[in-house]
Amino acid sequence: MKRTIALAAFAAIMAVSGTAKAETMVFTSWGGTTQDAQKVAWANPFADKTGTVVAQDGPTDYGKLKAMVEAGQVSWDVVDVEGDYAAQAGKDGLLEKLDFSVIDKSKLDPRFVTDYSVGSFYYSFVIGCNADAVSACPKTWADLFDTAKFPGKRTFYKWSAPGVIEAALLADGVPADKLYPLDLDRAFKKLDTIKSDIIWWSSGAQSQQLLASAEAPFGSLWNGRMTALAASGIKTETSWEQNITAADSLVIPKGAPNLETAMKFIALATSAQPQADLAKATGYAPINIDSAKLMDPATAKTLPDQQTASQVNASMKYWAENRDEIGKRWYAWQAK
Amino acid sequence: MSTYIDVARETATTSKAARPAGLGEIMPALIFVGIFFIVPVVALLLRSVLEPVVGFGNYAELLGSATYLKIFANTFIVSGLVTAISLLIGFPVAWTLAIMPTRLASVIFAVLLLSMWTNLLARTYAWMVLLQRTGLINKMLIGMGLIDRPLPLVNNLTGVTIGMTYIMLPFIILPLYGVIKKIDPAILQAAALCGANRWQCLTRVLLPLAARGMVAGALMVFVMSLGYYVTPSLLGGTANMMLAELIAQFVQSLVNWGMGGAAALVLLVVTLSLYAVQLRLFGVQNTGGR
Repeated sequence: MKRTIALAAFAAIMAVSGTAKAETMVFTSWGGTTQDAQKVAWANPFADKTGTVVAQDGPTDYGKLKAMVEAGQVSWDVVDVEGDYAAQAGKDGLLEKLDFSVIDKSKLDPRFVTDYSVGSFYYSFVIGCNADAVSACPKTWADLFDTAKFPGKRTFYKWSAPGVIEAALLADGVPADKLYPLDLDRAFKKLDTIKSDIIWWSSGAQSQQLLASAEAPFGSLWNGRMTALAASGIKTETSWEQNITAADSLVIPKGAPNLETAMKFIALATSAQPQADLAKATGYAPINIDSAKLMDPATAKTLPDQQTASQVNASMKYWAENRDEIGKRWYAWQAK
Repeated sequence: MSTYIDVARETATTSKAARPAGLGEIMPALIFVGIFFIVPVVALLLRSVLEPVVGFGNYAELLGSATYLKIFANTFIVSGLVTAISLLIGFPVAWTLAIMPTRLASVIFAVLLLSMWTNLLARTYAWMVLLQRTGLINKMLIGMGLIDRPLPLVNNLTGVTIGMTYIMLPFIILPLYGVIKKIDPAILQAAALCGANRWQCLTRVLLPLAARGMVAGALMVFVMSLGYYVTPSLLGGTANMMLAELIAQFVQSLVNWGMGGAAALVLLVVTLSLYAVQLRLFGVQNTGGR
């Protein structure tokens, strides 16, 4: 008995001193179910393996990131950002160069790797539909832009980002391989035709709410949100026809306090098993090419990386170069 | 119009007797305001003329574009509407509260304050659920056979006005109540005895006497509405965007701080001008919104 107590006391002391010594780092993402999944799939195994406590912060805020870097007071080590932003921020000197001797990029989908960022997960904008609320579901982007055949409100992503402009051009008949450089005039003209029928969603949760309540029975949604909706028991239909892919990226803000740990964290987060675990939990695709093997085929089949037949890749490179310009026009058009 | 200004002037003059406290005593407060308010505002001003290039380019772009001017106009229209409707609803409420038994009034106050203290996001989402096409109000109206098709109550000007009026009401009721409560009911009796009908009692006696409270409340609501963000962004559509949303877009999404700073400063200048107008008309005593 005494020995047990002594042992327990010893263990407690070790645990306390262990915590005191433990390193910490901060991971920032978008909150909600996605960040919960990132915590389970990435942060927990990282803590087990290295003893580093990964504190969660969020949501990601580009204004805040810039402010931190400019003030030299960076409190975020690894940040989940949109791919087009990552490419632009790298150019603007807001990010640390990644150390590819720590991060093994040979197994990473090269579409999502730059000097300053690697993919976090990738997703598709799909055509989602609440099948209970309407008699027929739109199957193509042209359908979604056709208010005569499919009357009612439709929902689209509110912020300036890859996805909606591409969808408008595809709906207008632009071939997928001729999308870039984007013909913005043509896209906005097409968008004008349905403008009064659009309800914008500004967060993933809102897109689900709009669809589930049939406030907007169909629209362009992130595929993971459709997976979650279907799981919640709503009769949904998802059309992968010309699904438009974009990726989130992992980046390290310039001057991050735990640079080495941050590199190690990214190395683990992008390795095969954690990527597979995240994909299972979120419905988004892994960016590690070995992950699919680690997942059960039924799950793997529902992910964007298996929907390549008519997949359209949004060009992160184009967006990075034209992000400001498009953003200005986008918001001006919305406000008109 | 001139009657109540005269009344107000009188009060303002008499109140000048109270001298401000010594400078030394308010030094800590001044330093606090200086560090946490003045310095950031100056920094913002600098950014708006230094980024991305030195000059007034940001202001020229902001004030020269039809889109941005429309957003300014929207901001004023929404704020004006919300202020007017809040006054129309708030005045009778404040009046009723002032003349009802104190115990009952305090219960109603508790309800008012409770709604004020409830999380803003929760209240705004609640309106979203109520107002949307498949929401409670539309379903009820359709069920009662009053309409065939859902009314567009949200994602537009209507939604913003309803949601913001609801949030602003306490800010107009409280100062109005304070002013009305101080009006001696005997004055109204005197007016009635002198032959004033009810309408005259209201327009010639009550309203002029309550004018200070009305202006203070209205100005507070108007100014708060000018910079409101959450409610318009959730209940409004992109076509009737307000200034605060534009600033958030510049700062967070476009990461264009020069433009964001310029827009924020225009808002600040407008707000301060309004405040100056009120100061000139009513003196410093009555602007606190009691």
